[in-house]
Amino acid sequence: MISSYTLGIYPRSEELIEATRKNTSNLSSLFLSETKDYISLQKKAKLGYVCDPLLQWDDIFRPFAKLKSVKFAALNRNYEMNTFYRKLSFENKITGEGNIVKTNVASTLLPKNRAVCIPEPYTFAERHLSSKHKTKDEFVIDLAKMLRKEALSLVKAGFKLIQLVGPSIAYNINKVDLDLVKDGLDILTRDVKAKTVLHFYFGDVSKKIERLLDLPVSGLGFDPITTPINAIKKHSFSGKSLAIGLVNSYTTQVENKKKCISEINQLVSKTRPKEVFVTTNFDLEYLPKEFARKKILVLGEISKGVKNV
Amino acid sequence: MSKKLFPTQEIGSLKKPSQLLKLVKDPDVSNEIKAKKRNDAALLNIRTLEDLGLDIIYDGEVRRVEMYEEPVRYIEGFDFAGKVRSWDNKYYNKARITSPVNYKNNFHENEFKFVKQNAKKEIKVPVTGAYTLADWSYNEHYKSKEDLVIALAKKVLRPLIKDLVKLGAKIIQIDEPAGTSHPSEMDIFRESINESVKGVNAKIVVHACFSGNDYKVLAPQMSEIKAQQYTLEFANRDTWNLGTSDKARKGFHVLKLFREHGFKGEIGIGVTDVHVDDIESPELVRDRILYAAKALGDPTKIYVNPDCGLRTRTRTVAFDKINSLVKGAELARQKLK
Repeated sequence: MISSYTLGIYPRSEELIEATRKNTSNLSSLFLSETKDYISLQKKAKLGYVCDPLLQWDDIFRPFAKLKSVKFAALNRNYEMNTFYRKLSFENKITGEGNIVKTNVASTLLPKNRAVCIPEPYTFAERHLSSKHKTKDEFVIDLAKMLRKEALSLVKAGFKLIQLVGPSIAYNINKVDLDLVKDGLDILTRDVKAKTVLHFYFGDVSKKIERLLDLPVSGLGFDPITTPINAIKKHSFSGKSLAIGLVNSYTTQVENKKKCISEINQLVSKTRPKEVFVTTNFDLEYLPKEFARKKILVLGEISKGVKNV
Repeated sequence: MSKKLFPTQEIGSLKKPSQLLKLVKDPDVSNEIKAKKRNDAALLNIRTLEDLGLDIIYDGEVRRVEMYEEPVRYIEGFDFAGKVRSWDNKYYNKARITSPVNYKNNFHENEFKFVKQNAKKEIKVPVTGAYTLADWSYNEHYKSKEDLVIALAKKVLRPLIKDLVKLGAKIIQIDEPAGTSHPSEMDIFRESINESVKGVNAKIVVHACFSGNDYKVLAPQMSEIKAQQYTLEFANRDTWNLGTSDKARKGFHVLKLFREHGFKGEIGIGVTDVHVDDIESPELVRDRILYAAKALGDPTKIYVNPDCGLRTRTRTVAFDKINSLVKGAELARQKLK
């Protein structure tokens, strides 16, 4: 089965950027109308799963600043990108109730085939600080417990697919403790009745794919810019889903549909996954809105062109 | 060139006066008045920086939109694509490269002439580097990032710098905030600087921002890059405790690594954190300078500056930080007398 979705945060329009800067009286209605517009566009493109564009999220971790005992720390560079996020500092044991993400996505605007994006526990811990947890392991496990509550409540809210973004695993692939990653995901995904796809970008994970296939998630997602398709082809995905981010959120050039379709068909014939998702490689917010819209449409066209597994 | 120990310098932009920003956007104000107000603002910055006691100054880049957008407006081959987030609701106007890049004219000419005419102190002209211009753009034309970077270095940066030198510029600072952000591309970065300054008769300063790797990737390249000075960030990861111990000055340890790699040039050390409003005391600045001088092994190679441009701080905070920096440098000089 072939499906498709976008990943992460979408770009704000220039009008919305300006309105946010000036905190204008129509700000809420602008956020709402742009959210609706992006949702309509995903439907028009016939994407398999539709996402909230997360326009009010300043970065993928920011809603979690609402957890108790979390303080803002310094701005930090997003890997090697020219973008920055605000580090969060956890000053006590993490006590989430599972309502952070749910209350920060527009569930009521989304169709039944809805997906949502959250950070996986290792990436979350690697990007932030804790003065409470004595070891990184403790921090990862505590975050995983909090994220599990989030995942369970998202399933209750009707989300069928949860994208777990793991750029820190990919970026640090040669030194990451994959047992710790697995422990975190074991907790997060336990009894979660939705598809869970773990996405890798910002680093080449070619040499660890066999280990990654053991992780307790429904599927793995790759960015072919950093992890070459030829490396993915060498592995059997039997029993696992495969997401391939052929639509590049870091270039304004629109993908060649025929070439992408051919690449996916070859990849699928070699890897034999349970299910295939055609996706963006990471957040569309690395593009201005006009180009992000083009990428959504081409993603839909590529998905339509790919043969069923 | 300054001969005294620990010369002090600004290295980036200052916040623009809000009145100026309003006025330049006002369609009812004539271009003549806008030009006059820009001159007034530049003169105000020049005088303020001089009065605060800096040895090497510029105009706070008051005429430039922003360090990326300003040059891109004047370079052939770029087309603006739209706004892309830097962080939160801070965005920059990101461009695509859709045809070969080419230098059209010296887009810093009027700015430089004005500063030269009005400054009483030494001046250092900041220009945005080829690597950063490439890294912050969408490349739709060149086969590789390396091809784009080298084209920008040869066809844009080199003629720009040569034109500034013809007008009398003696110190050029190549701003490369992206310079160390991709560890695997440090060879491209090195070549971008070397190609940019080929045949240039001026002192070359390279400014690179902290990219999370503590300049460890820069250290092996420094002696191979044709620059006489690096202005770098140190204060933003240092402690605020007084003293010259390794523990107190943990933000400056990498200077020892530069020395181990045989770097013999100058370092403009960032002694004030540009991301916080707290003002470093002159004593803290002094201790940072003294530690850096010892770590690098030659006090005559130390210049003193903020970590980066101070434009994210209010003008009051920025000038208080510079005031403290100047006083701290004097305290350090007295200590070594």
